[in-house]
Amino acid sequence: MSRLFSWEGFLFACLVVIFTFNAIAAPDFLGVSNQINLFQLSIEKIILALVMTFVIINAEIDLSVGSMMGLSACTFGYLYQMGLPAPLVILICLFIGIAGGLFNGWFIARLGLPSLVVTLATLIGFRGLARVMLEDRGIGSFPDWFAALGQKGLIGPVPFALIAFVVLFILLYILLERSGFGRKTYVIGSNRDVADFAGIDTARHKIIIFTMSGVAAAFAGLLYAARVGAVRGDVASGFELDVITIVLLGGVSIFGGKGSLVGTLLAILIVLNLRNGMALLSITGHIQTGVIGLLLIASVVIPRIKLSTPRSFKPEVAA
Amino acid sequence: MGLLSRLSPAALRILALLAVLAIVILFFASQIEGYLNGRLFNRISSSVAIMALIATGQTLVILTRNIDLSVGSVVGFTAFATGSIITNHPELNPLLLLLYAALVGTSFGIINGLLVAYARVPSIIVTLATMALFRSFLVEYSNAKSITSDSLPTWLTDFPNLPVFSIGTLEFRAGFTASLVVVLLVHLCLTRLRPARALFAVGSNPEAADMAGIDAKRVVFAAFALSGLMAGLAGFMFLARFGNITVVAGLGFELKSVASSVVGGVNIFGGSGSVIGAFLGAILVDLLETSLVRWAVVSEFWREAVLGALILLAVATDTILSRRLAKLRAKKSKETTK
Amino acid sequence: MTLAPTLALRGVSKNFGMTAALTDMTLELFPGEVHAIVGENGAGKSTMIKIMTGIHHPSSGVLEVDGAAVVLNGSKAARLRGVAAIYQEPMVFPDLDVTENIFISATSGLFLNRPTMRRAARALIARIGMTLDVDRIASGLSLAEQQAVEIARALSQDVRVLIMDEPTASLSAHEASELRRIARALAEDGVSVVYISHRLEEVFELANRVSVIRDGKHISTKLISDTDPQTLIAEMVGREVGNYFTKMPSTATTETLLSVQGLSVDGVFEDISFDIKRGEILAMAGLIGARRTDVALALFGMLKTSAGTVTYKGQSLKITSSRQAIDAGIAYVSEDRRKLGLAMALPIRWNISLATLQKYLTPMGLINTSAEIATAWDYKKKLNIRTPNTDIAVGNLSGGNQQKVMLAKWLNMTPDLLIVDEPTRGIDVGAKAEVHALIRAFTAAGGTALVISSDLPEVLALGDRILVMREGRQMAILNHADASQESIMALATGQKDAA
Repeated sequence: MSRLFSWEGFLFACLVVIFTFNAIAAPDFLGVSNQINLFQLSIEKIILALVMTFVIINAEIDLSVGSMMGLSACTFGYLYQMGLPAPLVILICLFIGIAGGLFNGWFIARLGLPSLVVTLATLIGFRGLARVMLEDRGIGSFPDWFAALGQKGLIGPVPFALIAFVVLFILLYILLERSGFGRKTYVIGSNRDVADFAGIDTARHKIIIFTMSGVAAAFAGLLYAARVGAVRGDVASGFELDVITIVLLGGVSIFGGKGSLVGTLLAILIVLNLRNGMALLSITGHIQTGVIGLLLIASVVIPRIKLSTPRSFKPEVAA
Repeated sequence: MGLLSRLSPAALRILALLAVLAIVILFFASQIEGYLNGRLFNRISSSVAIMALIATGQTLVILTRNIDLSVGSVVGFTAFATGSIITNHPELNPLLLLLYAALVGTSFGIINGLLVAYARVPSIIVTLATMALFRSFLVEYSNAKSITSDSLPTWLTDFPNLPVFSIGTLEFRAGFTASLVVVLLVHLCLTRLRPARALFAVGSNPEAADMAGIDAKRVVFAAFALSGLMAGLAGFMFLARFGNITVVAGLGFELKSVASSVVGGVNIFGGSGSVIGAFLGAILVDLLETSLVRWAVVSEFWREAVLGALILLAVATDTILSRRLAKLRAKKSKETTK
Repeated sequence: MTLAPTLALRGVSKNFGMTAALTDMTLELFPGEVHAIVGENGAGKSTMIKIMTGIHHPSSGVLEVDGAAVVLNGSKAARLRGVAAIYQEPMVFPDLDVTENIFISATSGLFLNRPTMRRAARALIARIGMTLDVDRIASGLSLAEQQAVEIARALSQDVRVLIMDEPTASLSAHEASELRRIARALAEDGVSVVYISHRLEEVFELANRVSVIRDGKHISTKLISDTDPQTLIAEMVGREVGNYFTKMPSTATTETLLSVQGLSVDGVFEDISFDIKRGEILAMAGLIGARRTDVALALFGMLKTSAGTVTYKGQSLKITSSRQAIDAGIAYVSEDRRKLGLAMALPIRWNISLATLQKYLTPMGLINTSAEIATAWDYKKKLNIRTPNTDIAVGNLSGGNQQKVMLAKWLNMTPDLLIVDEPTRGIDVGAKAEVHALIRAFTAAGGTALVISSDLPEVLALGDRILVMREGRQMAILNHADASQESIMALATGQKDAA
């Protein structure tokens, strides 16, 4: 526990350094509008990262989130263009998210296939369905209220995205850190058999988590459609890797059972502000991603160096 | 059951893959007019020539319980770097150029290997990061320029299509043949060379490998270095085949190579699988993509959806069948001990 | 024994940071002897093995091979000197066949010569008196067969010192005696066999000499004929152990809690029938492969039954999930702490509340942490779990304390029926006595226990009645008064038929 705490402390220190640097480089960086803007532009990835935290703590991985997000966005465009009312289409999209999550979850939890493979398949498959609908067209001109939701402030200057994020973060935080569901998420991630023997329906739990992931991705896809105002077959392609990077950077163990939402939140802030700072220095997108990759490796290597001496001795574990 | 139980699970997988390949070919042959011809073979073989190399490298890594997500970026960088060298020095010896590509790829593999094996960072994290990092090297190196095929010497762009030999109407071209030779060579090494068995040992039981005096770090390191080498060679092939290289070259190859390996029966948890399987997996994946484009009944945009379903189907069938087989064998061995 | 020792530790100490794991250890191993090493968990046995096999380096002192000081860098260097170790959990490669498993560490030649390798593998398997198809994939082998593969591997490298670390802990009695035969045969061939075991009967049957270590220090080395079990135990714990092996009076009542009739699982076990009274301890004895754990799993809903009835508290009960079993008041303490018992990386407190999480949830589904902490501290005190607090990962505790946490987890649901599978495997003598006392206290307070154990003294010390199983069949139920180690073993090995 103490190690986790210090990890979050380390992330926080990083964040302070980035903030200071950015503030010096660009005076209006610290402005509220800049920060809100940062959040709004990346809201989809942020939501995906929050739910991915659950997935990885549960010792699984969901590579299909970017594709599900794309599928949801494309379905919205496709059905809306066909003349269906937008609210109904939104419901259908969320339902597709649920269905996709159940699909992943069933193969992983009930059939026992590795999530890396199942969601790799659905990464390709969901994306494929999105392309089947839109082929190589783009669809835009959504209703005004829908576009306003993604582009304008909902309460004063505060956009819907930010409100959605705050509400979602609080709910998910309570769910993970305070509830029985969250406790089970950790235990199953740490040792699924132990959870099985303790009377926990681990398959059901995993299916719920993948369903959460699916519906969150569908929701993110709708937010994207609202924010950008147009959708294409390649919406959010490659997002999964960014999202996983954020979660791992936040200190969630790829082996499950360890991590926290606060860590993920700090990692989100680091990545957003780092990218913003680099943009201020006119460093391009691919290079920014490279720097974040470097940070990811450093995030795993640095704590190792600090802790490598006493960890080699574990007294009395097994005969 | 007699024959089935005598065959090793590995051999069974290869047979099953061949059967699936045959079924797919027969199915599309009945659907598409003039499907079975030399052009189909050419199209698939020239595309598989690249993917087979990457999937071979990926298989070596997966055997050791790791994964290499950086191969796409390595292919892209190598293709660009090699193209840029030959553009500036058109007189360069072809072998030297190939060596250069191999070296570039291997050095990236070495970076991955050092981080995974010696800094003990989980491979999914390392290669997720280096995938981005190597791609950013490419962006930096390219300085917003592209390689174009007219700046390349003709020997290079002609190479993949040089006919080597033919069986009936099937024309084996240099690119595919070279790649096939590499795959067979790696297969022979994996099954015949003593040090290569360490790959299987480390993936099968890392702790036991350690106890048996196998230097697991070196083995994992070697697997990544070789994966880098294969990606480097693939980068060379990529350059030769397409000629036009931009910063997005090789994007998405990482997942496709994992898909090929997994469809080819390589156990994602390490310890078992073969590069022949991965090679057949790559062919199957490509065959489906190519065929769906030509199948009039559905839109060509179905190809990704079908590919996703195929991966799932392959893994699900494999898992269920091998569980059944294990159960059957356990029962049998119990009966014999009674 | 005037020869030079094959391997010797001279004044070896090993420190990890501030902790001394071994202090001034001296040990000599001679060719042809079986040298037993006994000591409590945490006494330093593991560290000593790791020094002998080159995994750790001594902080001070010297390691000698054939009288010359050596430095071993890693297990490979140790193997080259002829030092090899086999463990309770066999170190095989499940995806490789027997032949490859045997020759995996061989270094001669770049190319594999399969025919020669198979021939050599067959010869090695034959040398240890086993029959085994050398083409079989290791994942299908039994534990004993896997150990045979490991021994063959060691032999293939001209082993001169073979360290066997608790090799029989998971074996059936028959397999264990087979293994002891192999150990003896190796010693007669001139190999120095180091035999580490918690089972003193085994030590006295097999060893020529025995060394006791305690708290990282060498206590004694004696010829086996110069010592006896009581002395050894006293030396191991540094105190007299109370009535560890003494049977306490039964607390059974007349009310039947559980009645099992003709319980079967296809291909696993068949026709198991027994009653347990409230307050009773029913011990299940048998060899490994007797399928006792499977009976427990069936009662706990983790294995689907194919026939038979279970009457529980006077009502017919069909349990198909662990949840149902727990709700009915049945607890199952697994034999496998690491895989099935505890989430090692998570806090002690989380593990203790795991099976009863419902009790700590508010109507909103949130966890009442203060109640949870109170429970954890309560058990820490009651079961004497040695830990500064209940927030540290349970994996940091010793085996005995882990066992107590596991018991706490299940006692916390106040079960009516407590199924305990191998309650004291791999834990030291002191902790054993504590665990036995706990089980007795549980039944004295009205609980009912079904204890599965391969340790015959334990079966006799705990069981009011003893159910003996053999290869999935029930051989007999003995009253404690009629049971002896010999009578149980006769049934378990099939030398005496089911009544």
